Amino acid sequence: MQSEKQSGSLTRQILQSISEASLVPFLAILTAVIVGGIVILFVGGDPILAYRGLLQGSFGSTKALSETAIWATPYIFAGLAVALAFKGGLFNIGAEGQLAVGAVVSALIGYALPEWLGFDVPAIIHLPLVVVFGVIMGGVWAGIVGALKAYTGGHEVINTIMMNYIALNTTSFLLNGVMKDRSPTNVIARTPLIADSARIPPIFEGLRVHWGFVLALLTAFFIWWLLTKTTLGFQIRTVGLNPDAAKYAGINVKRIVILTMALSGMLAGLAGVIEVSGLNYRHELGFSIGYGYDAIAIALLGKSHPLGVVLAAILFAAMRNGATRMQFLTQMPVDLISMLQAFILLFVAADAIIRYIYRIKSKGERVVLTRGWGG
Amino acid sequence: MKKLYVFMALLVVASMALSACGGGAPTAEDCSKEDVFCVGLVTDVGKVNDKSFNQSAWEGVQQAQAEGNADVVQFIETADAKDYAKNIAQFGDAGYDVIVTVGFGLGEATNAAAATYPNVRFIGVDQFNAETVAGVSGLNFPEDNAGFLVGALAAAMSESHKIGAVCGTDVVPPVWRFGEGYKAGAAYADGMNGTTTEVFVVYHSDVGFDKTFTDPEWGATTAKSMMDQGADAIFGCGGLTGNGAVSAAAQAGKYGIGVDKDQYFELTDAAPRMLSSAIKLITPGVAKLIAAAKAGTLEDGNVFGDAGYAPYHDLDSSVPDEGKKMMEELNKGLLDGSIKTNVPPVKP
Amino acid sequence: MDWKRFGFIALVVIVLFSAVVMIGQVKQPPLLIVTSMLATTIAVATPLTLGALSGVYCERAGVVNIGIEGMMLSSAFFGWLGSIYMFHIFKMSAGLSIALGVFFAILTGLLMALLHAVLSITFKVDQIIGGTVINILAVGLTGFLNRQLFFGKESVFGGSVPSSPGVLPTIHIPLTEIVGPICGASASCLENLTAINRVFDQKPIAMGAVLLVFFSHFLLFNTRWGLRTRAVGEHPKAADTVGISVTKMRYANVLIGGMFAGLAGAYFTIESVPSFEPLLTNGRGFISLAAMIFGNWTPIGAWAAALVFGASQAMLINMQIFRDVIPPQWAFLQESYIVGLTPYILTMFILTGIIGRTTPPAADGVPYEK
Repeated sequence: MQSEKQSGSLTRQILQSISEASLVPFLAILTAVIVGGIVILFVGGDPILAYRGLLQGSFGSTKALSETAIWATPYIFAGLAVALAFKGGLFNIGAEGQLAVGAVVSALIGYALPEWLGFDVPAIIHLPLVVVFGVIMGGVWAGIVGALKAYTGGHEVINTIMMNYIALNTTSFLLNGVMKDRSPTNVIARTPLIADSARIPPIFEGLRVHWGFVLALLTAFFIWWLLTKTTLGFQIRTVGLNPDAAKYAGINVKRIVILTMALSGMLAGLAGVIEVSGLNYRHELGFSIGYGYDAIAIALLGKSHPLGVVLAAILFAAMRNGATRMQFLTQMPVDLISMLQAFILLFVAADAIIRYIYRIKSKGERVVLTRGWGG
Repeated sequence: MKKLYVFMALLVVASMALSACGGGAPTAEDCSKEDVFCVGLVTDVGKVNDKSFNQSAWEGVQQAQAEGNADVVQFIETADAKDYAKNIAQFGDAGYDVIVTVGFGLGEATNAAAATYPNVRFIGVDQFNAETVAGVSGLNFPEDNAGFLVGALAAAMSESHKIGAVCGTDVVPPVWRFGEGYKAGAAYADGMNGTTTEVFVVYHSDVGFDKTFTDPEWGATTAKSMMDQGADAIFGCGGLTGNGAVSAAAQAGKYGIGVDKDQYFELTDAAPRMLSSAIKLITPGVAKLIAAAKAGTLEDGNVFGDAGYAPYHDLDSSVPDEGKKMMEELNKGLLDGSIKTNVPPVKP
Repeated sequence: MDWKRFGFIALVVIVLFSAVVMIGQVKQPPLLIVTSMLATTIAVATPLTLGALSGVYCERAGVVNIGIEGMMLSSAFFGWLGSIYMFHIFKMSAGLSIALGVFFAILTGLLMALLHAVLSITFKVDQIIGGTVINILAVGLTGFLNRQLFFGKESVFGGSVPSSPGVLPTIHIPLTEIVGPICGASASCLENLTAINRVFDQKPIAMGAVLLVFFSHFLLFNTRWGLRTRAVGEHPKAADTVGISVTKMRYANVLIGGMFAGLAGAYFTIESVPSFEPLLTNGRGFISLAAMIFGNWTPIGAWAAALVFGASQAMLINMQIFRDVIPPQWAFLQESYIVGLTPYILTMFILTGIIGRTTPPAADGVPYEK
């Protein structure tokens, strides 16, 4: 006699849990917007015009939507990279560097492979090679850190920071030297354009959004599947939660640490590859200004869940993209966006504050995102 | 829950206000009209108050407005290189008449936009196009001349016969021309005066591209290191990094030499010890080109602006008369071509 | 004391210095090169040392702080802003404005740390989040205000950046005056002495940083306060049972850490160069973090690590100064990108455990729940 009531309440429960799950983030974003508006008012700006510009610039037209997707693509990959590492109990501050080496290698394969071989490579071979080599490079770059962590205990946080600088210097060296575009019209440290066969085509004629965005969404789904449905995913999560327990459960912790780091690096490398192959068609110095650091915020905002990461990435992308229109309308500096993002992260990730402000009772257990320095 | 309702109500009010404001009239909307002459500026990754080339260019646009050559002026600051095209399009779509893009980094995006917006005049600051692009005028400067002049001045004024230059990355051609011109100028002055001057030139090439011009602390440390080794005149060439070097030189009581504009008025803390500045006149250059665009006389291709050296200001009395005479002669020689810096336009 | 670690670090510094001396000696006397490099090393190490100390306090008490970068940046901005406000709006004397600037910088660091503490300790939010929020917020806030406050004719200063009251003065240590008489009439001896003296003539924050290293070491390892701090960082439960308030100790140490980061910020805009530029800390907060771990969460270790970064930077600058006298067989030294890799590769090498493993405090990063 209880079953009918139960099924009825089940639907209600699901609905309730969805509305509850979205209530806090919604209120958090709202609060951030209000706080941001107060700041704009404080310096004598027009918050409504600013927000209108932000919305118009990010979702107001097909072109705006396309640009938002372009911004979101590397954010999704890099955010997934950091999130996956968090799941494995590792803190990857090095997405920035992994992204750069991925981009450099894919650009190299992209422009130089036809030269080396002496003939045009068909896209069906060329493009996968570009992607695969870039991804591998990102994986190796992070995998080194994973191996150092597993075998020597060298801390991944420092090592990824160091690897960022090493990646930066090395790419600068290459782009100013052997990989520099030597055509007489070029004065900048950048590679030649990659061959047509190495480019990811746009989805729609006339818009810049390319299939890389779809790949990003598929990758997010794949990571979700990997983490929740496979043994490897289980092992990664177990090592992330408690490496000692994982060891007693017979998991090869060293192998998992290296693998997690490498996978994370591959995702970050993919972000670089897609930027080169889908958007810029070359690698240029200074093309990534802080994706790796934004990725940390995105992973935290998405609570390390692949779906959350996608949503957080789109949110960040919309704000970065809408900033142009906002500036055009109000002449407010772009830094406003960083400030808004900080508020959003503050209120969303630290939902205790929002629950406190709006007196919403917390239920359910604390989600462990990171484990500090891991140890 | 009470607070929740208050905020919900706020949200409703806010969204209503948002939609109500839809008809608000930003001045930029008049730009599609033919009689309104609009000028837009897109910065390189950086701000319009960067005390460097973005700021100079923006001041040029403002000067054009003050002179009555532009009705509406507006800027967009680029936060990321992939937004170049989008930011230019923002002005192009709004029907702006002239779009100024600042920095060699925007060169490609500018040329591409010129094809998309054939009715718009583009002015590319620091953009050298080997082939003429329809609709684009590149504003360039002989930075090596300016560097040459202050190099000669520093060498003539140095008592220790050691001088230094702290620059941004040599990957950027204008910076490299400043630095190499400085060396050449010092050597030229040595030849004239029979001295041997040691020149330290350090480029900040060991960091990322986004940091090389914005590291005053590194500039100051590097300048100090040079002064510890005897240098008594420091040329800060390269945005804020160079500013740090000039400031450190002034603090130590040595000569500081500014860059891009007469920095006597900007680096106020270093002003009393500022010998001169190697200037490239971006502001009047941009204003002049906008005026020409308004008059319809602006032509495609590369335009060369003026470069030179700034007055001695506070140190006027410490520069001997023969030094001043030498500088005037060198400047004349560089302008009429009888003196050459022999610095190639791009680092080989 | 971890002599193996310090021995290795000393060795590295000596190698870096000798490399430069070897190349540069054709141009400059070795003593001049060494003293000049030492001065550079100390200057570069100052903000890194203070940043690393900030991390040491927070983490010894069990709170991870990746927000050092943001704390430094915001302190640099508000310290500088405070000093020019005092100078131009409140018409205070230059000296007082500068002193108040330092105060404002420290206060900013303190407030940022308070934000971190409230998030991490009171609300028990994941500690990485607090730091990340601070980092992003600092970039946005300082960039936004730096543009809005000084831009446009109707702004406070009429659209231009006003002159700063100046920087902290160099303190002269009268070494030459005291030891000078030994030299007698020898001019070269006096010259050398002046060169050596220059290493000791530093500005207050640079000097203070060194003193604070030893002070912090004493505080953490030789006082009751230090014992309690370490207790809440290692075994908060045990500390709680013996009556130590975990919350209070953590709050106090995070706030102290914030003040150190604030002082590091003051170094940039009030001691070194009297102007603010967006993003001027340029990742030095993250290097500080690395220095802290490299130094195994000890003040002296962190300082030694910061000196390694300083020495590498000094080598880099000097390699460029002596660029044209680098012998052809060492041509790769002309490539600043390659030479620039030195500190990073060294750090990774050191971390492989050759000179001992690093171990964080046991409860580092774990919110304490009763």
